[in-house]
Amino acid sequence: MSTATASAPDTQRTPAGRAIEMVTGGNRSIPVLIVLAIIWTVFYSQSSAYLSFQNITNLTLQIATTAILALGVVFVLLVGEIDLSSAVLSGVCAAIAAGLAVNSGLALPLAIAVAIGAGMAITLIEALVITFGVPSLIVTLGGMVILQGLILVVLPPEFTVSVAGTSFAKIASTAVPAGASYVLAAVGTVAFAAYRFFVYRERISTGTRTSPVSIVVPSVLVAVVLFGGVYTLTRQRGLPMPVLIVAVMLLIAWYFTTQTRYGIHLYAVGGDREAAQRAGVPVRRMVIYSFLILGACAAVAGMVDASRQLGVSVTSGAGPLMLNAIAAAVVGGTSLFGGRGSIWSAILGALVIGSISNGVQLLGLTTEVQYFATGAVLIIAVAVDVVLTRGSLWPGRR
Amino acid sequence: MSLLELTKISKHFGGVRALHEVDLSVDAGEVVALIGDNGAGKSTLVKIVSGVESPDTGEIRVRGESARLVSPRAAAEAGIRTVFQDLSLCDNLDAVQNLFLGQEKYGPMWSGRRIRRHVMEEHAHRILESLSVKLRSLNTPVVALSGGQRQGIAICRALISDPAVVILDEPTAALGVSQRAEVLDLIHRLRDQGRGVVVISHDMKDVRQVADRVVALRLGSKVAEFRRGEYTPSDLVGAMTGAHEGDSSVPAGATEGDEL
Ligand SMILES: Nc1ncnc2c1ncn2[C@@H]1O[C@H](COP(=O)(O)OP(=O)(O)OP(=O)(O)O)[C@@H](O)[C@H]1O
Ligand SMILES: [Mg+2]
Repeated sequence: MSTATASAPDTQRTPAGRAIEMVTGGNRSIPVLIVLAIIWTVFYSQSSAYLSFQNITNLTLQIATTAILALGVVFVLLVGEIDLSSAVLSGVCAAIAAGLAVNSGLALPLAIAVAIGAGMAITLIEALVITFGVPSLIVTLGGMVILQGLILVVLPPEFTVSVAGTSFAKIASTAVPAGASYVLAAVGTVAFAAYRFFVYRERISTGTRTSPVSIVVPSVLVAVVLFGGVYTLTRQRGLPMPVLIVAVMLLIAWYFTTQTRYGIHLYAVGGDREAAQRAGVPVRRMVIYSFLILGACAAVAGMVDASRQLGVSVTSGAGPLMLNAIAAAVVGGTSLFGGRGSIWSAILGALVIGSISNGVQLLGLTTEVQYFATGAVLIIAVAVDVVLTRGSLWPGRR
Repeated sequence: MSLLELTKISKHFGGVRALHEVDLSVDAGEVVALIGDNGAGKSTLVKIVSGVESPDTGEIRVRGESARLVSPRAAAEAGIRTVFQDLSLCDNLDAVQNLFLGQEKYGPMWSGRRIRRHVMEEHAHRILESLSVKLRSLNTPVVALSGGQRQGIAICRALISDPAVVILDEPTAALGVSQRAEVLDLIHRLRDQGRGVVVISHDMKDVRQVADRVVALRLGSKVAEFRRGEYTPSDLVGAMTGAHEGDSSVPAGATEGDEL
């Protein structure tokens, strides 16, 4: 019967596909953690300073910008689009915020709000053109070039804004004292455990399968991560503000992508647009939402970066930031083909890429080693993505 | 009064005439089979009734009232649910998410429309069980499931909102013998519940087994209609191929269907 192929794609996995699935257990974070462990072991064996508290704190500060931008990129990848303009956009937003706060004397919160609004306005325009039908690769490539021009317009005639010594610089240099950080970790753990307990009770109430393990195991994991993180990162001067910003953004993103209707629709659009449309999911709106989130993330990333670099210039958002953010998302396990991945890929991928460049610098290796290693990791990650997407190691087999 | 009544529906795709002045009605508690050769326009008719495509001309009435099915949501709200030929499942979502896609149960606005997963899972269990669809886990992405399991999920999805009219495009094509019997049994059950059912099928055995009425399309036009017991298998084949008119050739533009 001719229709059999259309309605029942052969989904029996090949042994290779099954093996990959077994290693990943459907959870793409685990192989990334393994890769991270390997990278750390290699560099640590070369220099014990690599895993010192100080270097780990440095590392987290170095990756904060990439991680925040990658988080926005993940949302866009999940709906099956791509973005090349957000790194330059982060520079534009930083220029706007710094210009308003430092040169025009606007209150910092207001300047931040304007910058975020500007970032979202620009990605909204891009998204509208994309939902009109122009491929996102082209729209954001053109957008990147236009934004490179726009940053020249936004910056003052001398093309730099210095934020040294201003309240703007405090965004990155503020540190939460150790005591308060531990309180935050405790509050976070308790809140998470309470939420899992609430879900457990809900499931009991309808007789759906559950067990107390679903409270205990994740809560212990969260406690280990939070307290371990606070312990490690407060050894210097307290918990750096950028780390807190990343953590809060991840928390919000986790809730909306995994616990809400919005999250299901986000994945549905990336998985099969036509099917989502037929089921009544507002496909175009979901694509626009993703770009709005990217705009906000780009603005925050740009401001954190400017605050850390103590200024904005024409090179803000230039360089390897865009590639690093996309690479982070993909290395972390978010598919370039849409619909697969999680927000954790932003932080995990940024950690992988940041760990390589940090280690290379620490060992005083030449820059080309860093380029070779980062490029190789990216290609391997995409190859894994391709294999998982088609469910087979070999091309042409399903 | 019919649950669903189509009058003089026409649809063109560019130069291709997919449907030409087709009439179709479905009553409550009735199974109507829609038959026709590849490219006859069956799937196009289904897409029009399910709000995916809109007709060029013609009228759609739901329970006697003129309806405009401008979107899948509008069709669902009018009580019409469709199981598409390609199933239209999102491979990356699990069974529960697919079953409730577009009609999730969620909490209040302040919770960010939090999914009430426990309610959906419980409902999913019930509905899957009622059609004896067996899944090892409700949490695996449906890409990992067998053709029959996917078909079962697609059918259950159509039933979750308790629709008045259910449309099934080639529901048995992908199935093995026992699952096929189950689906046919299910169609009978839907009819006994007082729903209107439209079944598209290539299989004359299935058609004879379930249909109260058979409507034959050929090259986009309705060419024949038979009541149960008033036809022979060769009548059906003749209507589909146009053999009675001594014309069995099919113009090239109308030969390719939507598969492969
Ligand atoms: N989106 C489209 N664009 C252009 N032509 C289309 C489109 N959809 C259907 N057609 C054409 O309309 C005609 C009817 O197609 P349809 O899919 O309704 O046939 P069918 O009866 O379902 O066939 P099958 O048994 O192969 O599923 C065909 O000639 C097809 O090529
Ligand atoms: Mg068809």
